[in-house]
Order: sequence, then C-alpha cells, then structure tokens
Amino acid sequence: MSSFNPYTQNGGTILAIAGADFSVVAGDTRQSEGYNIQTRYAPKVFRLTDRAVLAVNGFAADGNMFVKKVKQRLEWYRHAHAKDMPLRSIARLIQTMLYSRRFFPYYVYNILGGIEEDGSGAVYSFDPVGSYERETCRAAGPAQSLLQPFLDNQIYFKNQQPAPGMSHPTHLPLQAVLALVIDSFTSATERHIEVGDGLEMYIILGKGRGLQGLEGVKGVQELTISEDGERIFVVRRELKKD
Amino acid sequence: MASAEGGAYSYSLTVFSPSGKLVQIEHALAAVSQGTTSLGIKASNGIVIATEKKSSSILIDDSMIEKVAVVCPNIGIVYSGMGPDFRILIARARKSAQAYWKVYGEYPPTKVLTQEIATVMQQATQSGGVRPFGVSLLVAGWDIHRGPSLYQVDPSGSFWAWKASAIGKNMVNAKTFLEKRYNDDISLEDAIHTALLTLKEGFEGQMTEKTIEIGVVTVPTVEELQAETRGGGTGRPRPTFRKLSEEEVKDYLAL
Amino acid sequence: MEYNGGSVIAMVGKDCVAIASDLRFGNQALGIASNFQRIFPVTDRTYVGLAGLGTDVTTLRERFRYRVNMYTIKEERDIEPQTFAHLVSSTLYEHRFGPYFVEPVIAGLENTSSGSKPFIAAADLIGCLNFAKDFVVAGTASSKLYGLAEGLWEPDLGPEDLFETISQTLLNGVDRDAFSGWGAVVHVITKDRVVTRTLKGRMD
Repeated sequence: MSSFNPYTQNGGTILAIAGADFSVVAGDTRQSEGYNIQTRYAPKVFRLTDRAVLAVNGFAADGNMFVKKVKQRLEWYRHAHAKDMPLRSIARLIQTMLYSRRFFPYYVYNILGGIEEDGSGAVYSFDPVGSYERETCRAAGPAQSLLQPFLDNQIYFKNQQPAPGMSHPTHLPLQAVLALVIDSFTSATERHIEVGDGLEMYIILGKGRGLQGLEGVKGVQELTISEDGERIFVVRRELKKD
Repeated sequence: MASAEGGAYSYSLTVFSPSGKLVQIEHALAAVSQGTTSLGIKASNGIVIATEKKSSSILIDDSMIEKVAVVCPNIGIVYSGMGPDFRILIARARKSAQAYWKVYGEYPPTKVLTQEIATVMQQATQSGGVRPFGVSLLVAGWDIHRGPSLYQVDPSGSFWAWKASAIGKNMVNAKTFLEKRYNDDISLEDAIHTALLTLKEGFEGQMTEKTIEIGVVTVPTVEELQAETRGGGTGRPRPTFRKLSEEEVKDYLAL
Repeated sequence: MEYNGGSVIAMVGKDCVAIASDLRFGNQALGIASNFQRIFPVTDRTYVGLAGLGTDVTTLRERFRYRVNMYTIKEERDIEPQTFAHLVSSTLYEHRFGPYFVEPVIAGLENTSSGSKPFIAAADLIGCLNFAKDFVVAGTASSKLYGLAEGLWEPDLGPEDLFETISQTLLNGVDRDAFSGWGAVVHVITKDRVVTRTLKGRMD
C-alpha cells in the first residue's frame, strides 16, 4: 500500500481538425487497461455547448470527472450570464482548472474543438497541467506518434511544394477533413492495439453555414439544442475490434 | 609382403609413391569396383538413379537395405562400394543440407551439396588415422539455378557432372551400353526403362522389385513453383527427388 | 536505438521496390553528421538498410559483404533477396544473447520463372523476419513511419509514385522524430535500373 499509484492509462486516441467555418473532433471508443479491454464503448468526446466539444484522453476516471466539472462551470456561467461561454473563454477556463491541480494533476490530455465568436473553426490542445495553444489540427493519446506526422503532411502540407504560382490552402473542406479523420483512425486501429472498436466524430458547423460536406454521410445525427446558432452533429463508425 | 601390395608407400595414405600415386586411393577404387552396379541417367524432364540390391544370403531381410538415399527434398544419392561408409556420408550430407537450410532458408543446390560431400571424401585422403571412403556416389538433384543435375563423386574426392554414368562392378559394360542408348532428348519414362535394361545386362539372378532400387528427380512445372509458399507453413518445399515404391518398380519391370 | 538514431523504410510497388533512410548520425541528442549512409547494395537488385547502433551498422555491413561474396563464389550466382533475408536472420541469431543493436530492412527484386517479383523484409535485432507485402519500417521514427505509411501507401504504385510516397512518408516521419532526419536518401529498384536520389530535409 505504501506505493499506491493513483493513475492508470486507459488507451484510445483523440483527434481534432479545424476548418474555416467548422471543426471536427473525433475519438475512438475503446477503453483498455494494459492488455485488457474494459469496454468497447466508452465515449471520449463530449458536447459542452452548441459550439464547443471537448475530447479527453489519458486516465479515464480523471477525464470523466474533468468533463463533469467543466460542464458544471459552463452551467454556472449560463446562470450568471444567460448565454453560452465563448470557445476561447472555455479554453482559458480549462487551463485554469488544469493548473489549479498543478501538483496532483488530472492525468488527461484535452483537445477542445468548436467555433469562435468570429465564426472561425478552432482547435485548442492542452497538456495535463494546462499549457495550451490554438491550432488547426492535433492528435493526442497513444497513437499520437502515428497520426500527428500524417496530419502535418495532409493538413499543413509539410514537405510538399505547391505547383508554381499556387499556394497550399490554409483550411480544407469538410468532406476532405472527414475522409482524413476516418483514414487516420483506420490506420491507427491497424497498427495500435489500444485503438479500435468504434469511432465518434463530432462536427461543429459555424452559424449560418450550410450542410455542404455532410451530404451523403451515413448516420449523421444532430445534437443542436438552440435555434439559429452553431449546429452540432455526431457521426459514428465501426472500427476493427481485434 | 608390403611390396606385393605396392611397396612401403601403401601403408601411409598421405604419402605419394614415386610414380605420383596415392595407392590407398586406388585400393579404395578397387573396393568400389567390387560393389554392385549403380547408374544414373539425366533425361530431358528429370533424372533416374538406380541400383541392384544384392544380399549375400536369402535369409537377410532385404527390406532393411537402403541403397538409394534421400538427402533433402531435392537431392538423392546412390552408391557402389561399402555400405557402412555410405551410411556415414549420407549422415554428413543430410546434416550439411540442414545446416544450409538453417542459414539460407532453402535447401542447397545439387552442386553445392556435391562439393560438400566431395570435401568430406577428400579430407579422408589427407588426414591422419583415417582411410579413404570405399564408395563412389551418384548424386541426383534439382535446383532452380541449374535445373536437374547428376554428379559422380569418387573416393579421391573428385567429382564430375554426367549425362549418364555407371559405377561399381559392371561399370565399363554399363557405360558402353549407356553410350549406345543415350540421347539428349530422352524422356524420364524412357530413361527409367533404359536404366533397368542397363542393369539387366550384368544382373546375376532375378530382377524383381525386391532387388532393384530406383530414385527419380522430377522437374517442377512453373505453376508448381509459383504455388510454393516459402517462408510460411512448414517451410518444407514439395519434393523434387523421390524413391519409387516397390509397386512402382514392379510396374516398370513388368513393361 | 536512440544512441545514434536513424530510421529506414522499404515499400513495395508495381514491379518495383523502394528503400529509404535518413542521413543523421548523432550522439544521443547531439547531431554529429548529416551524411551517414545506412543503406548498402547487396547485389545490383537487392539493398539492405541497417537502422540502429552506428558501429554495429558498419560491422554488420562488412560481415554481410563477406558472407555474400562467399555465397556468390560458391554458388556461382547472385544471392536472391529472400535468401539474403535468411542469411541476415541467421547471422543475427548467432548472437542471440549478445546481439548487434540493429534492425535490418531488405528490399529487392526476386528472380522468378516469370520475370521478377518485388520483395521486402525486416528483422528485429535477433533476426526475427517479417515478410510484409506492403511496407516495413525500422529505427527511432518507426511508430511515425507506420502511421504515415498506413495512411499514404497504396497497392501497385509505379516507380515515380512509389518514390513520392516513400519520400513523403520518410520526411514527414523523421520531422517528428528528434533522433532521425538531417536529409534522406531514397533508392527505387526497378527491373532494369536503380534510381538513387538524395533528399534535402529539415536540419533541426
């Protein structure tokens, strides 16, 4: 008992990509401890507001508790201000909450995705003690090393030369992003034992943006609560279970 | 006494006689030529090796005698001369084939294995405390590099490739017979019959499936080669060398 | 593996194979050289790449050269890539309990009755062979290379597309690895020639 370890790693991987006026946050649904699969369906991605989605990865117990506390703080914010907290404020809130536990951290890597007040798609990534930055894409979890260089290449066009007189786009269309997310997770499932079972992709669309890129996508389910604002959708896919 | 057998030089096998001979090796060849006849014929689509299996008494159970030996799935050997010496060489050849497999993941080409056996036989002509092997061998095998090939190895350790050859008691007559019968596009079936016919020339007693041993090399087809799954399964390739069963020998004798 | 760093990858294409590596030679975090060759020709259509401890890379290269030369003389023919893979495996396993710290990658074209067939293989440091049909990776950036190759590789790429795929896989992989990078070299082996290109990469 003298060497009780309060932490454990529960596997799985999360990933988020920002578009010009949308954001996609995804995670697999396998939860494991060592070589043991605890469940094939444990969500790691959570809707916070109609324009913010949080993905948590690492120690599942800490992750769930952390999401619960963030949701509680957002609820209080609604009571005090009669509106949802803006994305950048949620990001700052998460930093404060994480850093408040600087010496007994939530053992969790967070990725926050959503729509900023200016209507742009955004992704914020955090380390367990609250260091954070806004990015276009981020992968986290055990398969981060497999996915991040792939995203560097496909999202940031690293090591690719644009055709003469052309330039690389700063944001990809939704259709391309969804295809990359699915490819990323099938790849990670293929080569990493802690990734697999199911995939949940949350898609947050900016205010007034049409559904372009979502047409023809099977099994789209809308989660939006309020009218005339940002809209949230979830798409679920099966991943290999071996 | 010594001079009758070739003088003082005949005692030490590693000493040349003034005429440049190693007489012990010549004696070994004499032992071979007292052995039963064996022969090999290379056909256009394979090789046959065959030998006469003669036992000194009808009381011996000749099913125990094996004169055509499988070394590895693609190579077989027949001998004339001293049976016990052959047994040692076969054991060495099999070990060598397995050692090759352990390193390269495939069985040795016929030439490489022949060379290996020839080295063992040569060493017996130059080492202290040993005598040369009293056997000549016919090595028949198939490999992807050279296709079917037939080699003869002598007690001196020298070896040659043959289209057809014979060793042992009737070797001179048998070779003359083969020279008359051989042509380059003989089929394996014809070669088997020619082999039996050649043996028959100098055969004492009845030629039956009990007194004849035959081994054949067959050339695999392109499809068979492609179907081979190397690196998987048992890693054991489909044999290209096999001994004919008594039934098969009986059928050939009947024709 | 992390002492000197470095990574190797090989991929199968249509009637061709490619093998590539970075050029960094480091002393843990310190970069020493940006021209360290770790891929060597075995025959004119078979190459071997050795990821791992630099001194063992050099030593093994000489050992393989010795054993391949002996084979060529004895058998009067070039060694086939698959046969060479087994040779590598048995050489490494001879040192099962005091191994060379090297992960070899082999790429070449096999001679078959119907022309030539692409062949790749990789082994761990004690010679356990992995005959993959698509791609193999080794070295400090291996997890990154797996992720990229799994996403970028597709079957039946021609020599030019295969070159692009293996180059992008390698460059983007080593850019996320502190122990690999500092330039790269790519060999694309086809039936009638081997095209070798040296690539510029990030120098950080």
